Amino acid sequence: MLSIKNLQARIGEKEILKGINLEIKAGEVHAIMGPNGSGKSTLASVLAGREDYEVTGGSVEFFGKDLLDLAPEERAAEGLFLAFQYPVEIPGVSTTNFMKSAVNEIRKYRGQEPLDAVQFLKMFKEKMSYVNIDQSLLSRALNEGFSGGEKKRNEIFQMAVLEPKLAILDETDSGLDIDALRIVAEGVNKLKSPDNATIVVTHYQRLLDYIIPDFVHVLYKGKIVKSGGKELALELEERGYDWIISALGE
Amino acid sequence: MLYTELTSSAQKEALDRFKAKGFPTNKWEEWKYASLKSWNDKDLDWTPAALNETSSASLQTQNGNTNFKGALPAGVEFISFDAFIEANPSIAAKWEQRLPILDQNSLFDLNTALVVNTQVLWVKAGVSVDQAITHDFILSAAKASAVQSRLIVYLEADASLTLIERAFTREGSAEVLSNFVQEIYVNEKANLTYVKEQDLAQNTTHIDHTFITQLSNSQVDLFTFSLNAAYLRNNLHFYSDGEHVISNLNGLYVPGEDQLMDSHTVVDHRKPNSESHELYKGVLLGNATGVFNGKIFVRPDAQKTNAFQSCKNVLASTRATMNTKPQLEIWADDVKCSHGTTTGQLNEEALFYLRSRGISLANARTLLLLAFVQEVIDRVTHEETKLRLTDKIISKIQTSLAI
Repeated sequence: MLSIKNLQARIGEKEILKGINLEIKAGEVHAIMGPNGSGKSTLASVLAGREDYEVTGGSVEFFGKDLLDLAPEERAAEGLFLAFQYPVEIPGVSTTNFMKSAVNEIRKYRGQEPLDAVQFLKMFKEKMSYVNIDQSLLSRALNEGFSGGEKKRNEIFQMAVLEPKLAILDETDSGLDIDALRIVAEGVNKLKSPDNATIVVTHYQRLLDYIIPDFVHVLYKGKIVKSGGKELALELEERGYDWIISALGE
Repeated sequence: MLYTELTSSAQKEALDRFKAKGFPTNKWEEWKYASLKSWNDKDLDWTPAALNETSSASLQTQNGNTNFKGALPAGVEFISFDAFIEANPSIAAKWEQRLPILDQNSLFDLNTALVVNTQVLWVKAGVSVDQAITHDFILSAAKASAVQSRLIVYLEADASLTLIERAFTREGSAEVLSNFVQEIYVNEKANLTYVKEQDLAQNTTHIDHTFITQLSNSQVDLFTFSLNAAYLRNNLHFYSDGEHVISNLNGLYVPGEDQLMDSHTVVDHRKPNSESHELYKGVLLGNATGVFNGKIFVRPDAQKTNAFQSCKNVLASTRATMNTKPQLEIWADDVKCSHGTTTGQLNEEALFYLRSRGISLANARTLLLLAFVQEVIDRVTHEETKLRLTDKIISKIQTSLAI
């Protein structure tokens, strides 16, 4: 579904991605790991269409379409979802309020009829149970005064509502205690199907105890320097990143 | 000299004063961004004919002529200012005293000189008017005109009233300069809620002077929603002339392409233990110009005053301009006063977040702008008005962003 070839990107004058290659098929879970500053979050942002980054080379195809040519909202409508590392606070806009617009805009893009208020409420209720989120939280101004756990649960709730084909979880484990981590991971696992795929961007292995990856990739200085199965994550937990870096001769 | 004795000679004097000064130009400090200079050279009809068309509202001002249609609520009178003064000789003396505090700009003189019909909406002591009174303020002219209107609202002690003003231009009207003076007197323990909806045509220039005097334990909640007009100027003055007075000033302006909206507010705290809360917000679209000038005076006697002012603006276009100037003059030492003005653009991070969820850029911007203005709209308790304003503002923002 996703084919990244030699992707290069920079912010200002700083080259961050220096040739990423990655193939993702339906039903797979890929973990992207790596030390701080290796380009993990940049990759997530570039895929979602954040305009701060300039793509300087390479290509990304998503179900055969040129992803880099699409606006962020078109990427969402095509089935891409980014769970933010730092979800934005938006005063005056509630989750319920903007998700209704989001769902119906995406439905319109796909040539589907909009959901009416009753259908929307029913769907919303069902998805709330995925991450054990409370109605009152969804009626409040988005992320304003939310705890770290509430913010991340809200991200996964939105993912449940939008049912993406490809979900990118950007450091979803950061700032979570173990209980919140478990709830978030359970939500992600419930949403897993043979038709969708997940990219888990994380610094630590602990999230991967709950979301079991099929593939683990190590990103270093803007390139994927090592790929393996889930056992690679365990090895990284035990040995750190240094052995990979020294194997590169650096 | 009583107002009733302001015969043609007083009007002539006012006209002379106006003629000596002319329309305000940008050389006048208070009109720096909102010059009316071009009106000095126009060939205008100064007394455009009144229209006979009616609207659904009970209170109607048509080209300066104000009438009340249908039955007046119990305890409410609608009479000419002369008849009002005749019926209330004690008020006449008080009325004279309020004159020096009025802003004697040339437009007030122009209004005094040429206004033909000054009516009083008079709510008797202890009367609480249940239904809001809607006031349609209608402009329509066959050729370029200057329209002078004046209305007095007088609430006796313990009276309570909600007034909804809808200012608009009839379709097909020629260019109009509308100069509207309102004097509002809110006595002890009286309560006034006043919503102004200014939705005028692109060939209309509207200057609204609203002077409000409040006595002890009274409350006024005033809303100014400036939606459309080539030029809109609001001179809103509150004279807090009693103790435990509450004055709430709420303003929202959404000027678009080729529109200028200027809010000049004054809150004059003259007695102790009163409070004022001022919240103004602006969304500036297209090449719009906005002006906010908020003065707060706290006189030496006005100890324990709480006066708060906030003005926040979003430039929704790179071509829009906003000019803000808060001015606080505080002579009392035991007071709480604050002011803050901000002007900025929409948060890029919030826009990206909404877009990443599938919301188009235009809709994401609309959503954020509505969230921004909602704070002011939500304070309107009259449901029908709140819904109408919300619809109008959404549609204006959407239309502007779609271009």
